Amino acid sequence: MSKPTAGIFGLTGCAGDQLVILNCEDQLLDLVALIDIRDFLMAGSANDTGCDLDIAFVEGAVMSKRDEQALRRVRARARTLVAIGTCAVWGGVAATDESAPRDAWLEEVYGPTGADYDSLPARALHEVVQVDYQITGCPIEKDEFVSAVANLLNGDAPLLPQYAVCVECKFRECGCLLTERGEVCCGPMTVAGCNARCPALRIPCVGCRGPAADANFASATAMFTEGGVSPQDVARKLRTFAPQGVQQ
Amino acid sequence: MKILKLRKDRLDFFASVVQQFGEVHAPVEVDGGYAFRRLSRWSEARLNYPRTILPPKKYFLPQRETLFRFVPEKGYVPSAEGLDTRIILFGMHACDIYSLNILDMVFGGAYPDPYYQARRKHIVIIGIDCIPDKHCFCRSMRADFVDHGFDLFFYDIGDYYLTMVGTALGDDMVLATGPLFEQPAEADVDEYKRRSSNKRAAFQLEVEIRDLPEIFEMEYQSGIWDELGEKCLSCGSCSMVCPTCYCYDVADSADLGTRDGARMRIWDSCLFSTHALVAGGENFRHSRASRIKFRFYHKQRGFVAEYGRPSCVGCGRCVAACPVKIDIVEVLERLRGVQHAVSH
Ligand code: SF4
Ligand code: SF4
Ligand code: SF4
Ligand code: SF4
Ligand code: SF4
Repeated sequence: MSKPTAGIFGLTGCAGDQLVILNCEDQLLDLVALIDIRDFLMAGSANDTGCDLDIAFVEGAVMSKRDEQALRRVRARARTLVAIGTCAVWGGVAATDESAPRDAWLEEVYGPTGADYDSLPARALHEVVQVDYQITGCPIEKDEFVSAVANLLNGDAPLLPQYAVCVECKFRECGCLLTERGEVCCGPMTVAGCNARCPALRIPCVGCRGPAADANFASATAMFTEGGVSPQDVARKLRTFAPQGVQQ
Repeated sequence: MKILKLRKDRLDFFASVVQQFGEVHAPVEVDGGYAFRRLSRWSEARLNYPRTILPPKKYFLPQRETLFRFVPEKGYVPSAEGLDTRIILFGMHACDIYSLNILDMVFGGAYPDPYYQARRKHIVIIGIDCIPDKHCFCRSMRADFVDHGFDLFFYDIGDYYLTMVGTALGDDMVLATGPLFEQPAEADVDEYKRRSSNKRAAFQLEVEIRDLPEIFEMEYQSGIWDELGEKCLSCGSCSMVCPTCYCYDVADSADLGTRDGARMRIWDSCLFSTHALVAGGENFRHSRASRIKFRFYHKQRGFVAEYGRPSCVGCGRCVAACPVKIDIVEVLERLRGVQHAVSH
């Protein structure tokens, strides 16, 4: 049986998720032994840009017509398409403010050529094409990526937590920044998988992984405003990484 | 039961002797709270603590554990890792010991759990008494005192600890210290009784649990459940910190590039929508209100029907951990209240 083929792509993003893949030092040799990575621009220039792919991993948000075309091409080539990173899954930081006066900003930044500039409001991949699996994180976690690949190679869906960061925070038995110190910690609304990285370092979670399956934004907003944070600040905080998640 | 006493200033000597029986773990300070950790030196131990962030159930039912590995050529390979480590939990409170006695019924009943049982057999328990704080209601839950489930239990009686010897192993530890323990005198007994009644009077919370399951039955349609459902964040903290919440999820993890893998067990909570989700997409508790209601029903009604008592021990952890201040004592009081607990 020939090796499954794969491609790794970036749309508008910081390339952080692709970098995480390259940083999987301990598993990288195993990964390339198991999958035939045909198209990965960030890692090399000798790419087959037209072949069919068993798995495509796509980072970044769709923020231009060019992104949209690139994504549609990848979708057409790939049997399984996996969104990687918060931008691809939720739109990410670039989607924070959809009401931004895009045309005015384009003109301010690029002058008269701004009007022709290829720039669209940020969209998550699933808003443009059908996405099979989503691995969130800003950036993604190495172990979640590697275990997702292991599952995909066995024909299984990646197994990812749906519950909140608080669960892993309690697993590590950290003191709670929210209940003990009154800090604005987004752990209760944010999906786990990072092993509560920030609260474990005594830094409140800013929600970089996007919402947990059961996030209750209405009650969270009431909780933070009761704690003295203005509703605007709460909304801004909760919308930073995954504004669409907050609307749901 | 053998009852002795130990001079308080000899406790550190006693602790140094019991090291020969296993790894000593005790509450230490963590981020302004307390957690059971392995001690590197005795001076780290904080025996005067209100409650630990996680209950000692983490030693018996770890947050994440491998149940077995599967390797196609070899079949199932059970995991025995850490199952027979001799750990001494030094300084457990009565409610936490009681919670283990409750978990014993769950993991030792119709479906005995070999992992839990192995750890239970190897972990030594040394209890210590405590003063209730604003969240404690263990007395209402009949868990402020334990008559079994420990090897030794220390009661503060001033210059001494009155020491209950619960098991032969506890007795071995006492004997290993030579003449360290003494016979209590009449005055010690009086002091014990005096402090015991002081402790009783120190509880700030009281919940009546008699006929509570029946009241739950009557209040099944109460508006309180919708109200709590709107408020709850489904963060799961209350279940994680609860000494008697024993729900777990089982999942397989595959090793990259092989057919090998491991079957894992991970703490779960009935507050999550995935808890009652079954194949085909059906969810028996889709709404948040039905989930938080289930948590209360399981502890205060379902468990009583099955095991003859609530599974709550009144440790107050869930109250302290809830970001939106959902308070079990308040909920029980409102359910019992004559306004039918309806708020809107
Ligand atoms: S510190 Fe944050 S993530 Fe941790 S339990 Fe508290 S609210 Fe949840
Ligand atoms: S704790 Fe929150 S902000 Fe930190 S990595 Fe995890 S999800 Fe992101
Ligand atoms: S329900 Fe709350 S008070 Fe009762 S045992 Fe669990 S954590 Fe403690
Ligand atoms: S069903 Fe809920 S309340 Fe009962 S043990 Fe499980 S998590 Fe705890
Ligand atoms: S701790 Fe509070 S908010 Fe979190 S799941 Fe439990 S009841 Fe709901």
